[in-house]
Amino acid sequence: MSSIDASAIVQRDVPVKGSRRFPTPTQIVLWTLVLALCVVPFVLVLVISFGEKIEGASWVFGFTGANYQRFFVGASWPETTTFLYLNRLYYSVFYAVIASVLAVMTAFPFTYFMTRMSRAAQSRWLVFLLATLSLSEVFIVMGWDILLSNRSGLPMVLRETGVTDWLKQTGWFDVLREWGMANPRNVKFKTSVFATVLTMSYLVWPYAVILLYPALSRLDQSTVEAARTMGAGPWTVVRTVVLPTVRLPLIGTLFLLFVFLLGIYVSVTVFAEPAKQTLAVSVYESVRGATLNAPFGAAQAVILLVTGGVCLWLGQVLVSRNRAKP
Amino acid sequence: MDNLILHQIRKDYGKVRAVEGVDLTFAHGELTALLGPSGCGKTTLLRMIAGLEDPTAGKIMLGVRDLTPMAAHQRKFGMVFQNFALFPHLNVRENVCYALSIAGMPKAQAHERAGKLLDLVQLSAFADRAIGALSGGQRQRVAIARALAQEPEVFLLDEPMSALDANLREAMQVELRMLQQRLGITTVVVTHDQREAMTMADNIVVMSNGRVEQIGPPQDIYHKPANAFVADFIGRANFFEGVIQGGKIACGDLTLDAGAARFLDGSAVVVAVRPERAVLDNTDAQANKIPAQVTFVRDVGSTRDIHLSTPLGPIIVEYAIGEGARKFTRGDKAQVQLPAQALYVYPAEQRRKSA
Repeated sequence: MSSIDASAIVQRDVPVKGSRRFPTPTQIVLWTLVLALCVVPFVLVLVISFGEKIEGASWVFGFTGANYQRFFVGASWPETTTFLYLNRLYYSVFYAVIASVLAVMTAFPFTYFMTRMSRAAQSRWLVFLLATLSLSEVFIVMGWDILLSNRSGLPMVLRETGVTDWLKQTGWFDVLREWGMANPRNVKFKTSVFATVLTMSYLVWPYAVILLYPALSRLDQSTVEAARTMGAGPWTVVRTVVLPTVRLPLIGTLFLLFVFLLGIYVSVTVFAEPAKQTLAVSVYESVRGATLNAPFGAAQAVILLVTGGVCLWLGQVLVSRNRAKP
Repeated sequence: MDNLILHQIRKDYGKVRAVEGVDLTFAHGELTALLGPSGCGKTTLLRMIAGLEDPTAGKIMLGVRDLTPMAAHQRKFGMVFQNFALFPHLNVRENVCYALSIAGMPKAQAHERAGKLLDLVQLSAFADRAIGALSGGQRQRVAIARALAQEPEVFLLDEPMSALDANLREAMQVELRMLQQRLGITTVVVTHDQREAMTMADNIVVMSNGRVEQIGPPQDIYHKPANAFVADFIGRANFFEGVIQGGKIACGDLTLDAGAARFLDGSAVVVAVRPERAVLDNTDAQANKIPAQVTFVRDVGSTRDIHLSTPLGPIIVEYAIGEGARKFTRGDKAQVQLPAQALYVYPAEQRRKSA
């Protein structure tokens, strides 16, 4: 093994007294680009969120907390209080959490078995999944819209095949009605939390597979076999060897999908009930939609961003705490 | 105490036959080495014993129990893998405790057992270390302790020394053998290193092309090779071809006496002789003396190889340093004697098949 001269490293890292390193023109251009493209839009949104709406016209820059007050307790607080936008924030997080967990839970076994296939089969699957990423959200939602539509989609199939009648006879139809997934005549998926979450999961599912693939394909199969020779059944192997070994990529995938899903718009507008719509929809309505209130839209966007950051931080804390456990 | 018995084991991968008609009995408490070149089917056989592969045909029995339909996790044979297969997310103690934890043993009891095993492999001071912070030799010991934690009836090791450097390998071979003798556990080791097999095993199973070529104690395998492949694979041997004539072997103009004749006149044979059994300048002997010329002399520490050109072809004679023979140099003329009792004679087609 070669030895390293520590003094040489120290000398290299300590700047020579009196000489200051100035950034090169290339570095200045790069930093300016990074600031202009990544930071400035967020700063603008933050600044606009403190602006004021002029009724019947546009908006002006200002420094008012009215937009944030409206978000948390309503515009006419303290006379009346409303949690409408907090409710939308709740659904943003709710859909994103459920859909990302669902996507990872289903993508994980699929990816695990895919990595056990031949190289040729793995390549075919990966190409197929990458190809599905080229489909836009609008196109995917349209497909699911048809699939789940009450007149020509899955509910019609269930009615025609007699499944709806069977559900009515067995009492499951009443349960579905309680869950908001049936009208008096037939099963319905539009609008429902189920359809919203399902479509959102479908949207991010290929991402989940592609993000999990490297970690699972690198998994040392001999550790799995070693666990088997020590008495671990298939599920115990997954629980005690596979999942802990790929824990970090798994959590990373979950976080990434969660952040991505916080901003999903089309699926929610099509499949979620009006009372259960998300902040992304509300932001769009404020900025481009009927209400035309850019400062309030910006305030909602800032809150959505902060919420995403807080969720990621909480997740990070939980992961670190679990890792620190003896 | 139960012996491990393999009965007519066969394994096919599509059209490729990896293991063919293997019948073996591993006596209780003995260490058996499965020895053979790469691709001879020894690892496949070990994996079938562990339950990681299903045999295409045949039975695996432990005493009277048929293990063939049982999955690996039901057999619970301790196994050490070539790359040790330690769990990177667990520390040394947790790795050793793994089998006990999943079997539901209380933590304190499992830790106590792990402590004893780590004592046994002299790694008590490393119990809380991460796997990544261990050397190759330490990892191997952890793998051994982990495999022994569940007190398996059969202990399997798949080329356990291949990841270690030469010095450590030698030391670990002795250590592992002593540990196995102390525990008295039926052990099967796969190796392609004949020295490793000779050092550790009570019995060696030599394999080639999915078949068993010879079974026996190390000294028998070395001194009484059953066929040309074993003579070639175990230790070194000089080979030359001949034809049986009147109970002797005719090799060109030379005739060699090879003891009791086992072949019919006219049979084509291949003759093998170990380098250390050939003798140079033996004035006492009259039979099987062949004129030779030294082509190369190689000193390899404890022994010296003298390469000769003879009418039979090239022959190597090995002498221990300090042993009899005069000091030879390139170009020297000499007489090499091949004692009749040192000649192994096999049918010629055997050599062609194994080549």
